[in-house]
Amino acid sequence: MSAFYASNLVLVQATLVAILLALSIQVPLRLGVFSLAGVGSYGIGAYVSANLVLREEMGALPTMLVSGLVAAAVGLLLGVIIYRLAGLYLAMATIAFDLTVGVVALNGGDWTGGPVGLFGVFTNLTMGLLFGTVVLVLVLVHLTEVGRLSRRITTVREDPELAASMGVNVRAYRLTAFVVSGFLGGLAGCLNTLTRSAVGLQDVSFHLVVVALTTIIVGGALSWRGAVIGAVLFTWLPSVLEVVGEWQEFVYGLIVVLAAIFLPTGLYGLWCSVRRWLVDRMRPRPRPRPGSEPRPEAPSAAAAAEQEVAAR
Amino acid sequence: MQELVAIASLGSVYLLFALGLSTAWGTIGILNFAHGAIFVSAAYGCYELLEVRQLPVPVLAVVAILIGATMSLLMQVLVFDQVRRRATSERAAETRILIGGIGVAMLPIALASHQTKNLAFGLSASGFEASIWTVGGVRVSSIQVATVVCAAGAAAALAWYLRRTRAGLALRSLGVDDQVAALMGIDRRRYAWATMAVAGGLAGLAGVLLTLNLGAISAESGDALLIKAFACVVLGGVGSTVGVVVGCFTLAASEVWVLTQTSGMWVEAVSFGIIFAVLLLRPQGIFGRQEVRRV
Repeated sequence: MSAFYASNLVLVQATLVAILLALSIQVPLRLGVFSLAGVGSYGIGAYVSANLVLREEMGALPTMLVSGLVAAAVGLLLGVIIYRLAGLYLAMATIAFDLTVGVVALNGGDWTGGPVGLFGVFTNLTMGLLFGTVVLVLVLVHLTEVGRLSRRITTVREDPELAASMGVNVRAYRLTAFVVSGFLGGLAGCLNTLTRSAVGLQDVSFHLVVVALTTIIVGGALSWRGAVIGAVLFTWLPSVLEVVGEWQEFVYGLIVVLAAIFLPTGLYGLWCSVRRWLVDRMRPRPRPRPGSEPRPEAPSAAAAAEQEVAAR
Repeated sequence: MQELVAIASLGSVYLLFALGLSTAWGTIGILNFAHGAIFVSAAYGCYELLEVRQLPVPVLAVVAILIGATMSLLMQVLVFDQVRRRATSERAAETRILIGGIGVAMLPIALASHQTKNLAFGLSASGFEASIWTVGGVRVSSIQVATVVCAAGAAAALAWYLRRTRAGLALRSLGVDDQVAALMGIDRRRYAWATMAVAGGLAGLAGVLLTLNLGAISAESGDALLIKAFACVVLGGVGSTVGVVVGCFTLAASEVWVLTQTSGMWVEAVSFGIIFAVLLLRPQGIFGRQEVRRV
């Protein structure tokens, strides 16, 4: 096991970074904010952390915090500017933001190393700290997927007007999505720089948007488990698919298309459906007689929100 | 003056490319993220064809249009139609169409990158030499003239079709409310197929003209062009043909101006700046009448 771990250390690190990057896009998606700004935040975190380490000789933990906070601040600023937009317009505006970060990185002179990038970013980052950070983030994200907060988030996504009428501050939730997305993206970019000890233009490219979206769509868009499944799948697929090494992009494209058409809830959603179906099959239940009342439906977002208000 | 020629030919390439994108988005609600891939594939298809046999440029243009139209139609039938059939809501469909488009775009681009080893490819094998005329100290090439003529013709034809014909009216009504349009007996699928085929054909034509103009393009050229076209469409206003024309030439003029004022590194940022500025100041664009859906 440890030999396997040592030889695949780079892949393990890449998986952890990919999880954070995927979450930086998934968290706003869960709030109905179709923002891809996480990729730009990733670039900001990547370059900020490189500068902090090279110029200030900062340690790993403070670098991570500062990079995340800087990206979160930029995310807040972006959110204040464009939180009114919805759907495709928001997606395209945030893609423009990502590419703007790329152009700034290209023209950044000594701060970004231009087309060459920055090298030799060494810190005291340990695998324990890396794992700990990702686990902590996953726990925090999990807390937004259970209980009261989860119901509010679902309502904000599915029916903002209803949420507003129930006293949920939709605008605050949307802005929070931008900030959290910025922080997670910045953290992912910073950890990528620290594990690779270098940063370059490939860390702020359109390709990353494709990678992050692919991860979420194939894994599942509505739970952190989906992000983890997608990140593991796409980080390890190239090493498993040695046969199609040079056709990797083609295979990825095919997977994305099939997922977009046939897997509306991703692999994790598929697993949930299969599990539910199996449980239903296993459970012996009396066959409903014709004319008896239908089985109660699962509570809708509206009902959840009503219970919420009633509980106060 | 030389700048004006550059603006005219660059704006015309943007226009040929953006016309189809804008029409599909404004009428059948499909923002095709694989539009750039179609553009590149048509040029690449012509490049491969030239390896086999010599062809004159007009034939190449027709081949490019056919390649583009076929690809676009296949995408519509195999991907976007399927997504729409299975989607639960309009918003879900929108997201999935965008993602499906990104996925579809990867297929031909991966193929072309693989075959060209990521190098730029051109159409020099056709033996075509653009003749260059000098008019009053300004150099104009025959390809630039052809590009401007094609773009002007396409834009005029499309504007006339949408404004003056019954079918154009049906298409526009789909953009306003497709459910009511369906009740009036408009077959959405048929119109979607036709729109996508025309859009793809125009993108293919743009691909060959730009390749002839620049000498070579690479498999990645499509992505940058897609964002630029989006900027043009947003600036002009979704669903307005006049708007797209104005948007494309505004972007071309801004880019040429930035290119002459600064080192060439900042040019790419012009279109991003335009997207931001327009979405903030006038979300419906200059000529757009549709209000952007507010949250």
